[in-house]
Amino acid sequence: MAEEKQPVTRRGFGKAIAQAGAAAAAPVVLASNAAGQIASPGAGQSGPVLVGNYAMVDNIRIGGIGIRGRGMADLRMLLGDERVRFVGIADVRESAREMVKSAVDKHYGTNDCVMYRDPSEILARKDIDALLIATSDRWHGPMAMWAAQSGKDMFIEKPGAMSITESYAMADNVKRYGVVYQSGAQRLNQFAFEFAVGLARSGKLGRLLTVHADTAIGLGSVDRGGHGWWPADAEPPDPLVFDWDKWLGPCLWRPFNTQYADRGRGEFWDFHAGLLEWASHTVATAQWAAGMENTQPVEYEPEGGEFRGDGLIGRYNINCRYANGVRLVLRNHSWSLLGSCSNRFEGTEGWVETGDSGRIEVSDNLKSLVPRRTGKRFDPTYAHIQEFLNCVRSRRPPRANAEVTCATHVTSHAAWICAQLNRKVTWDPAKRMFINDEEANRMRSRAFREPWRMEAFATNM
Amino acid sequence: MRQTPGQTPQPPAAPAAAAQGQPPAAAKPQRPPAPSVPPEFDALPIWTMEPAKLIAMVKDPKSTVFQKAIACKKLAFTGGKDAVQPMAALLDHPQLSCYARFGLEPNPDPMVDDVLRAALGKLTGKLQVGVINTIGVRKDAKAMPALAKLINSSDPEIAGAAAASIGQIGGLQAAKVLQGALGSTNPPVFPVVARASLLCAEGLMAANKARAIEFYTQLSGASMPGPVRLAALRVLNAESPAPPGAKAYPPPTGEAAENDRSGFLGRRQ
Repeated sequence: MAEEKQPVTRRGFGKAIAQAGAAAAAPVVLASNAAGQIASPGAGQSGPVLVGNYAMVDNIRIGGIGIRGRGMADLRMLLGDERVRFVGIADVRESAREMVKSAVDKHYGTNDCVMYRDPSEILARKDIDALLIATSDRWHGPMAMWAAQSGKDMFIEKPGAMSITESYAMADNVKRYGVVYQSGAQRLNQFAFEFAVGLARSGKLGRLLTVHADTAIGLGSVDRGGHGWWPADAEPPDPLVFDWDKWLGPCLWRPFNTQYADRGRGEFWDFHAGLLEWASHTVATAQWAAGMENTQPVEYEPEGGEFRGDGLIGRYNINCRYANGVRLVLRNHSWSLLGSCSNRFEGTEGWVETGDSGRIEVSDNLKSLVPRRTGKRFDPTYAHIQEFLNCVRSRRPPRANAEVTCATHVTSHAAWICAQLNRKVTWDPAKRMFINDEEANRMRSRAFREPWRMEAFATNM
Repeated sequence: MRQTPGQTPQPPAAPAAAAQGQPPAAAKPQRPPAPSVPPEFDALPIWTMEPAKLIAMVKDPKSTVFQKAIACKKLAFTGGKDAVQPMAALLDHPQLSCYARFGLEPNPDPMVDDVLRAALGKLTGKLQVGVINTIGVRKDAKAMPALAKLINSSDPEIAGAAAASIGQIGGLQAAKVLQGALGSTNPPVFPVVARASLLCAEGLMAANKARAIEFYTQLSGASMPGPVRLAALRVLNAESPAPPGAKAYPPPTGEAAENDRSGFLGRRQ
């Protein structure tokens, strides 16, 4: 299925957009009629057998949206897999589009990677099976929903959603449209974390008491920018070079300042998901260890830290409790130097702690169980992406699937809301709401800037 | 210094190049720090205000766009009934409309629905789309008549937004409107109507399963967008096998079938 679109030049973009008219400018994703329909090759016909929206042969056609630093690491792993053909890139930034095209074309020795300024164009391509989505945080949730509605599988960087509501909306859409979703919580495929989780789940720690998750950094909204703005630049950008309106996306309007795109946007509440910067990883492993990967704690209580009016800063704990009594502690201090994104699991008969160093520390009674691989650092991204590609074919959910990601994110957002309010909150996982706490419930969502929307919930939340 | 999540821990640096007889690599240039937020855009003093002061700030014509924006943002979490009208007055402001909706959308007071419905007919373009979207999020069934008209708008953004909101509001009336639209709308709105119908059918499952199955059956038709059709088929498959009389493949014929005694090829022995 040859793609008819020609590579898009800067000059050609304006022309293409003008020709496409309202349909191209519309923010909604136009799902194709043909995408996902069942087809089989006729007599003498060669090529992939398409069932649903994925290729049953080793030819998974992948497109990318918003790929830069971390996304380039993911892209390299995809390009290294012979099952994958990377065919197009969409980015609101011309420089990023061209960087990805250059890397892909160099890898294949072709000039075939198609560039798009508008993500809706790559979502509408009928021949693409899956997407690598590595935009900035605020776009992850909407892009995941649109990819699902277009029938495309996705590997998507974390955090997966900017709010509790968006977390559920993402997972509901993935379930509704039956696509494969893998978030970039790659530590779920990292040996040291697997081992630690295994000790907890197998019962080797005895009765589980507490799981700890490293949050490392201060709470986002109280970082330097908070809810503030930077002043407007004198000149707005050329939208063909950098489309500020699309870059801003569903976030609240603010004056253009080129610094947001280059650095520092993570200091602003509108552009990040607070605790989830690390909790996307560490809460995922903690909930996996506790057998709670599809639910959330029912209580959240802040401890320590300094309340600045819009949240906690300094050294803090968020002490949480699951319905079965097991505790989850989110903390940004007192780790034993095992590396970033650390976890510690404690039971009645032992404990285990690990982090990105790959080293594993355990209680004395468990030392004989620690394998020799301990202490070796390795990048789990390859294994994580391999699992995703395998699941594209098997249609089984990978470890960081949408439901697990949703549960992780709801836990982390609830903890973040607790820290922003600096008081105890109580959560009902079944009702998806805080109990008797209107202010906390109002903080579950962030209204999208027009014209963006979530097509999400069939029932009340 | 801690690593950024997502980065892979790096092994210790290799021996210095100079020690191996090579010239040292050029030092990586340091990026200058991001600028500070200037005092006029510092939100914390506004963020810590009581609702009454925030409302006064929203109303005050001397307040800056920034002050009104942050006041609306905080009122999203703390504003009551008295915050509704002042924020509604900003729904036609090109920059502040999104802040007004941000402030209004989670407010449980029914007056919010009243002001949004009232604004529907006064706004155009993206600002109208925004209000339509918020009405959908709030599932305001009283807005159904107005939305049922807007689904036929010649502006595909408005028609699509109306369809999506009708799907989120759900119910039998929504199903009727959407089924009508499935037969009358064209691209680019048709796929949005189909997705909204899917959402509506899902919402009907608990209260009126027979009607939901009927809707899903319509959505499983060959004319539907592929992802919607497959989603509907998965629901139908989970509910029951195909009904009697549905199109089915005939029993196999030919030598292999004639010789088969297992029954696996469909021939009973």
